[in-house]
Amino acid sequence: MRAALAALPIAAAVLAMPAAAQQPVAAPDIFVQVEKGNCIACHQVPEGAGPRTRADLGPALDGARMRALGRAKIRALIDDPTRDNPNTLMPPFGRHRILDAAEIQRLVEYLLALP
Amino acid sequence: MRFHSLAAAAFAAAACACFAAPEAIRAELTARLQKQLPETMLSDYALGSAAFDPELRDQINENAGANADVIAAGKAAWNAKFKNGRSLAGCFPNGGRRIAAVYPQYDPHLKRVITLEMAINQCLKSHHQPLLEPGDAATMGPVVAYLRSLAVGQKIAVRVPAGAEDGFELGRRLYFSRLGQRNFACASCHVQGAGKRYGDMAISPTIGQATHWPTIRDGKPVSLQARVRECLEFMGAAPFPIGSEELNQLEYFITYLSNGLPVAASPWRPR
Repeated sequence: MRAALAALPIAAAVLAMPAAAQQPVAAPDIFVQVEKGNCIACHQVPEGAGPRTRADLGPALDGARMRALGRAKIRALIDDPTRDNPNTLMPPFGRHRILDAAEIQRLVEYLLALP
Repeated sequence: MRFHSLAAAAFAAAACACFAAPEAIRAELTARLQKQLPETMLSDYALGSAAFDPELRDQINENAGANADVIAAGKAAWNAKFKNGRSLAGCFPNGGRRIAAVYPQYDPHLKRVITLEMAINQCLKSHHQPLLEPGDAATMGPVVAYLRSLAVGQKIAVRVPAGAEDGFELGRRLYFSRLGQRNFACASCHVQGAGKRYGDMAISPTIGQATHWPTIRDGKPVSLQARVRECLEFMGAAPFPIGSEELNQLEYFITYLSNGLPVAASPWRPR
């Protein structure tokens, strides 16, 4: 929780920056850990923002799209994407307790800060 | 506990009394995949994930001999004489040639589906020989690899006769039921996501998945059921044991879907 709160001002500052000035941010460990989010197994992120894979099971993630979705929506999608789309392949990371609230928050801030 | 409660819920949700004819299911899945994957020929589905990965195809071709030791070991076990002078080869028509393509098959007398592993153990039992663990890569694996090598090129022709429908339906439900912490079904990846990539790994389509088992990984045979167990573990579900009714019926369902595609000799796989 403390980590999540600490991340908020950083994310706010990133959001205030023009897109061109934004620097890629390091992917959190839970973004790549197989037993955690393992997000890179399905999603690609912009160059420099995380490990490169050829994954395309889920849509590519980019900052503009994430910021258009907004913090609350991204959090809800990570928590349980089946609420919006019962046929989605994405696991309900929060509902099935793969990630806790603080971990989801870290992912949300990372996604919002993507270039 | 986690798995069983989830599995029970998934099965209950899927267990409507709406059994569809096996051929209609196969036709529907084939049509769906062909629509999803217009650039891939149906015959290439037999390559599994390699159908969508030219690099993997090249690697498989470069390692074409990787199955030689396993098949040789299986051949030796197949022809080894029991104390009574008989052998595994003597239990099967034509010494086992061209039979693997019709397994798993429903035995109307036993009223259950018999996998190749079960048929091999039936033979051993009838000759008072020690049975082989169905998932043992050192003993059963080579025997199955050899037996299937005797059917290379034969088109898979699994039947679902009267009496076998319930088991087929169990396999179908299992294939389409979301399980485990990750909430995946087999169909999530192999129907919905067929041809896409999970990480760097291309995802095989459900049609054709049963043509090329066991695969050879690190010099050892990996059976279809062993591979399914890996998927179940990855899905966060406690996997059914190899040789369980659930995995036998799942294998029956998956293999039926590959009807018409040729059996391939245990190909090499990197993982």
